[in-house]
Amino acid sequence: MPQDTVVVGAGIAGLACARGLQRDGRSVVVLERARGLGGRCATRRFEGQPVDVGPMFFHGHEPAFLAALEEVPGVTVLEGWPARVVGNGPPCQPGALDDFTRRFTFAEGMNAFAKHLATGLEVHNQTTVARIQPVDAGFEVTAQDGTVFRGRDLVLALALEETRALLDTLPPIPELASVHALLGMFFSVPCLTVIAGYPAGSQDLPWDLLYPDASEALQLIAQDSAKRRDPRFLTLVCQARPRWSRTRLEQPMVEWSPELIEEAGLVVGPWALKPLWTYPHRWRHARVDRSCELAGPVQVALAQGQTLGLAGDVFAAGGGLQAAWLSGTRLAQAMKEKA
Amino acid sequence: MNNSMDAKLNDLVERDREHECPGLGPERVCVRIVAVAKLPSRFGDFRVVAFWNNRDQKDHLAIVHGDVVGAEDVPTRVHSECLTGDVLGSLRCDCRDQLETALMRIGELERGVVLYLRQEGRGIGLANKIRAYALQDRGLDTVEANLALGFRDDERDYAVASHMLLSLGIGSVRLMTNNPDKVNQLTKYGVKVSSRLPHLLPPNPHNRFYLETKARRSGHVMDFSGTAHLQEQSDPVLVEGMLD
Repeated sequence: MPQDTVVVGAGIAGLACARGLQRDGRSVVVLERARGLGGRCATRRFEGQPVDVGPMFFHGHEPAFLAALEEVPGVTVLEGWPARVVGNGPPCQPGALDDFTRRFTFAEGMNAFAKHLATGLEVHNQTTVARIQPVDAGFEVTAQDGTVFRGRDLVLALALEETRALLDTLPPIPELASVHALLGMFFSVPCLTVIAGYPAGSQDLPWDLLYPDASEALQLIAQDSAKRRDPRFLTLVCQARPRWSRTRLEQPMVEWSPELIEEAGLVVGPWALKPLWTYPHRWRHARVDRSCELAGPVQVALAQGQTLGLAGDVFAAGGGLQAAWLSGTRLAQAMKEKA
Repeated sequence: MNNSMDAKLNDLVERDREHECPGLGPERVCVRIVAVAKLPSRFGDFRVVAFWNNRDQKDHLAIVHGDVVGAEDVPTRVHSECLTGDVLGSLRCDCRDQLETALMRIGELERGVVLYLRQEGRGIGLANKIRAYALQDRGLDTVEANLALGFRDDERDYAVASHMLLSLGIGSVRLMTNNPDKVNQLTKYGVKVSSRLPHLLPPNPHNRFYLETKARRSGHVMDFSGTAHLQEQSDPVLVEGMLD
């Protein structure tokens, strides 16, 4: 059945947009490649213990964004986390650690935000979109398994490079030439990540976040277990620098994962060389580069009246989760005003 | 007379130390005069007044000639920062001509003020303005792309400019602008605008094409090299001798 809007990507931008549109009375379906929700705002569970794999904490100053986070039910808010930061960073998003920014995290994991945003939405997980095309006064979205979704309007809320790849599946459309050129000026950076688990209580670490300023490999080590109640493991999330990640992006995980653990051992001490378990993750498009930010989402009206909307962390100032949420929310608002 | 003028301006610095107000406009913009100094320039004898504001880290300036505190009918020009035009002499816009002409005119009058608003071209920074130029070079500067890159927030500029004029204690202004809406906007925030002075640029080799293309009140104007001239200021360009 055709929808008013098909949203591709159940990350924070896509969910915020879908939620805004559905609240406005539109029928919306969200298509998501992964099994879970939230995209890069990801939390994995190890023997029940949550560990954040992407962003480690929420930070922002936009009242609407902070209010949306207040609405997440049933979570324990750890206000002011990370309180103990060692090293100079810089953080992934400029301003994340400055005096005027509010910071906090959830003891249940960052992903609780995504789950909350998705409440009441029709999300098709494990649905990878292969191509999109305009048909009549709408869009046809074809998944890899051949399933076809139809909507009058289409929203792409993916990592920047993934959005570009999907736009490439469209036939040449004059209205989109400038948007294509625009997106070509922006780029994401990768982040190879390893989570390492150790016996709970085996170390008493005086930091929540550690920026290893002297390391060429590591950008950040987070003591994720410091966020959890009665953790079973002490967990470190080791995130690599963009340049280091880029050169190893196509290598098998078994090659770069031990390298990162070794580097962590150099930074925090030899005890870190012997984790009980490790879990590597490859963020191919972890976040937009710090030099890349647009002022707002993109909305293009095609010849037959259908609208293509673009949202994501590049489509608002400042990057990160706040920008992603703002871009999705503002896109929903803009589409509503146009209708 | 100069001494009493400086004393009056310095009193404003003292006064503003404690200044707090509900602010102007939807963003509740508030500014404070924080420093005053002499600024002799090639355009005349000026004082420069630095303003702090409560919204960003940009310190706005008023470039003041003669005694303006408490004065009526003060010739006033509002200029928005354009690094490429003002400083680098770019010919993609007319900002430098607009600024120089305003300073020159006011330098020759008994008194006057140029407000220099430090909000570079397109809302979120210089890099995105250059990106907009790059799209334009390729003929791809559509409304959608430009919106995403950010546009000047005129609304906010007017609130900042109004508060600056009110802080300077200027009784009423003769606004140098070709944009009647600017008058309405400043009036809305409590600035008394006694009249509007057209802001006419003297013709020079770089703006002579305006004389030939006649007055284009909107849209792009191509210069002799075929480059679209961008309007970075919220004013249509008028060159002396240009026909309406």
